[in-house]
Amino acid sequence: MRLPGWAWLALSSLICIPLAGATRPRYGGTLTVELSTLGTGGETALAMSITETLVRINARGEIQPVLAVAWQHDPDFKRWRFSLRTKVTFHDGEALTAASAAPALLAALKQKYGEVSIEAGGQALVVESDHAMPQLLEELALPDTAIFRKSDANMLIGTGPFRVIAWEPERRLTLAAFNDYWDGRPYLDSVEIEFGSGRGHGDLFDIPVGPARRILPDGVTTWLSEPRTLVAIAGGNADPVLLQALALTIDRAPIANVLAQHKGDVAFGVLPQWVSGYEFLFQSTPDVARAKQLMAQVHLGPMSLGYPADNLFLRSVAERVALNARDAGITIQPTSTGNATLRLIEWPIESTDSAHELKRIAEQIGANERAKQLDASKPETLYQLERSLLDDHRIIPLVHLRETFGISPRVHFQPPSQTTASDPFALHLEDAWVDQKAGP
Amino acid sequence: MSFRTKIFLSITATVVLSVWVVAAVVSTLVTQSFQRRDDQRTATAVGQLQREIGRRGAEVARRVEAVADSDAVQRLAVNLSETSQYFTAAQTLAQEQSLDFLQLVGPDGAIISSAEWPARFGYKEDWLPQPFDWNTQPAFLKKEDLSDGSALGLIAVRSVKAADGMLYVAGGQRLDKAFLDSLPATDGVRLQIYRNFEPRESAGAAAALVDDVRRKSRELSRVTDAASITAIPLEGRDKQLLAILLVENSRAELLSLKRYIQETAAAVGAAGVLLGLILSFWTASRVTRPLRDLASSVREVAMGKWDTRANVSSSDEVGQLARDFNGMTQQLVEQRDRMIQAERVAAWRELARRLAHELKNPLFPLQITIENLQRARDASTKQFDDQFDEIFRESTFTLLAELAHLKTIVGRFSDFAKMPAPQLEPVNVNQMARDVIQLFEAQLRAPGQPPVETRLQLAADAGEVPADPDQLHRALRNLILNALDAMPQGGALTIRTARHDSKVVIEVSDTGEGLTPEECDRLFTPYYTTKQHGTGLGLAIVQSVVSDHKGAISVHSVPGKGTTFRIELGTANV
Repeated sequence: MRLPGWAWLALSSLICIPLAGATRPRYGGTLTVELSTLGTGGETALAMSITETLVRINARGEIQPVLAVAWQHDPDFKRWRFSLRTKVTFHDGEALTAASAAPALLAALKQKYGEVSIEAGGQALVVESDHAMPQLLEELALPDTAIFRKSDANMLIGTGPFRVIAWEPERRLTLAAFNDYWDGRPYLDSVEIEFGSGRGHGDLFDIPVGPARRILPDGVTTWLSEPRTLVAIAGGNADPVLLQALALTIDRAPIANVLAQHKGDVAFGVLPQWVSGYEFLFQSTPDVARAKQLMAQVHLGPMSLGYPADNLFLRSVAERVALNARDAGITIQPTSTGNATLRLIEWPIESTDSAHELKRIAEQIGANERAKQLDASKPETLYQLERSLLDDHRIIPLVHLRETFGISPRVHFQPPSQTTASDPFALHLEDAWVDQKAGP
Repeated sequence: MSFRTKIFLSITATVVLSVWVVAAVVSTLVTQSFQRRDDQRTATAVGQLQREIGRRGAEVARRVEAVADSDAVQRLAVNLSETSQYFTAAQTLAQEQSLDFLQLVGPDGAIISSAEWPARFGYKEDWLPQPFDWNTQPAFLKKEDLSDGSALGLIAVRSVKAADGMLYVAGGQRLDKAFLDSLPATDGVRLQIYRNFEPRESAGAAAALVDDVRRKSRELSRVTDAASITAIPLEGRDKQLLAILLVENSRAELLSLKRYIQETAAAVGAAGVLLGLILSFWTASRVTRPLRDLASSVREVAMGKWDTRANVSSSDEVGQLARDFNGMTQQLVEQRDRMIQAERVAAWRELARRLAHELKNPLFPLQITIENLQRARDASTKQFDDQFDEIFRESTFTLLAELAHLKTIVGRFSDFAKMPAPQLEPVNVNQMARDVIQLFEAQLRAPGQPPVETRLQLAADAGEVPADPDQLHRALRNLILNALDAMPQGGALTIRTARHDSKVVIEVSDTGEGLTPEECDRLFTPYYTTKQHGTGLGLAIVQSVVSDHKGAISVHSVPGKGTTFRIELGTANV
């Protein structure tokens, strides 16, 4: 199992929950975390609590400095110059310099841009490419461009507030506070993260999205992220008329309210409203009569809707979609096997950068040519691209899911309001502290 | 068909028929017995099923009531404004109460939670909101829609008073193969449920029975070689046919027993046939041997051995028959001897009469002539010497003539007595006919003779026959003479020849007065004649000649029209 990127992103940040009786933050103590699953990108997301990126994007979509304190670019966006923060050290005591940061950064950027060169000199880091890189800052805010090194024991060495003490792959991760963290030592002495338990006994635990209602222990509060995972039907090579008819049959509200237990919002667009700002323009209501008219034009046999075998939520969504489709005479068989006509997908929204996210998903569904026409400086092109993707029905958005964590009463975040406003994606562990008198 | 075969068939038929009747009766009785047993089994199975459905229905109702009384449902009843968190409640409650189906349905009929088809939340179950009190209703059969099809369920509904109306709890258990398997097993009985909302699986007697029940909606039965099947309709609350219970009684045991009976009957029948065969041979040998001996004796008698005697080997009917046969042949021999004696006497008498008659005619002139000669001699004088000489000459002439006549008569009898064996040689019958008729041409054309027209109708393919030409010539000559005698006033004489297969036919016809049937019967008897001066030997000689040539002669005569003699001669050895 691998922890999804968003989860580690969540754990890497902190939202302060206002609690009665919570006064000033206290240092010390160990935070126990239980995570039900490990998803793709887990290791990279884990780096976010151990490693840091050069910049990050706040809730308003603004670029904020982290390891880079300043940056410049030429008019063509082909050459970027970053000034790294001084007095930053890796967990093993080595100082952060352009030379030490360059290898990890170069590997990540080459995956994104192909031929990229990096010049390192002191704290100055120059990234250069033959292609324009107007979105480089947004890319550098993503977890996969974090700065890290590997020890001789192949342990991850970053510059974040926590350092890795022990790592049992897919079972347990133990972190300890990095006393020399450039932004100040975290409150917690250590963090013990257990994977795949799902018992909900930790100080902090995730609550998976699903139709089952979770009875939380007394005093446990929940935290919901902004909608950040798109659940949609990928149409593949299915008949466009069928996809249009199918989209008209689906009643999304029960999926969001019942199957997702209100941990999601009805999705009419690819990007959630809080990211794109225009999702409301795609709103529609089910029209079974119209769907039947469309189905009268095509003669198709039974189809299948695939979902991951271990994902109960997507399974219930698939069954609901099949039920809705049956009202229009469309026969769809939910299946967990690989060879399905249609596929239910979960698409994580990695950042608040609309252009970046839309481009990713366009490429995912094979609309690469249209994605290339996207101009981030022209917001209308974003809408036009998403409109065209939805009109094709190659992707049928269903719901945008929020992530939920349960937080025990002894855990507090500092400062609560600031953290919530600064990063709607995640909880930041460095802002957490425990009331050791309250007991585990 | 031989006597032996008849006996064999009689014995075999008797044995086989008896065995068949016994086997059929036994088989019928066994079938009826099994049918009664099948009926009892069916009634038992149906009774068990109905009791089990009743028991299960009560159990289902109890469990649904437990669900309705559960905290979760009670909480839901007071908080119908937020039902989404109860989405999985039905699954949990169904699992707790071991129910296959469970739905929590709101006052408007909308499903809040469904255990059997979770995705159906929000869909309507319009049949649940009813004016009556569900809590007093027993469990009933119902078709339950599932994501992968439909199922037959035993459903109970209970209602819970909620803030905005009634909250309905509809739950039940599957009525399927597992349910049937849970019933007490009855040997040889198989229970099946055909759900009326599913396609019929296969063809066959059961399928046809299902179709009949679907049309008539009542219990029906059908018997096949393999099983007797009873189909019982199972209806839902609104009397719609939901399923058909098939109670299948295996007939394997009956078939096995009937097969045993048939095999035994066949074995007994085969033994009967074998016994019949042996008995028929034995009986036939006992019965038919004296009969065959008797038949052989009969054949010998038929061949002329009238003194043949049959063996009398038993005192039964066959022995009596043999004794009677011997008595009969003895009497026949005695009668034959007496008849031969009588015929011989009659023949001598006839011969004597004929000889007397034939000889008396010439003797009388002889006597007169001699008396005249004596009287002429006694009265002889000189003057009458010349007259005497003349009388003497005339008398001697007459005497010689009559003596010649006597000699002729004697010669004929001598000829008949001395008929020689034929010297066979190929004889052309057409040529023979022409030669014979030519002999009579001069006679027929002589003055004073009655006018007789001769006709020759000779077949070109008549060919030759092996015959003695002199004897055949004589026979034909006699027939022609006979024909001419039959036509004293003239007429037509016809000679025909023809060939039929291996025979040559010669017919001689006249147009005389004809003969009566009695005359025809006696015509070939020696010395029998219908003519004033005949010897009665002409046709007898003809018959003798034809007989010596292995041929046959017959006569056909119509009084007033004429007579036809027909000679048939074989062409073999020509």
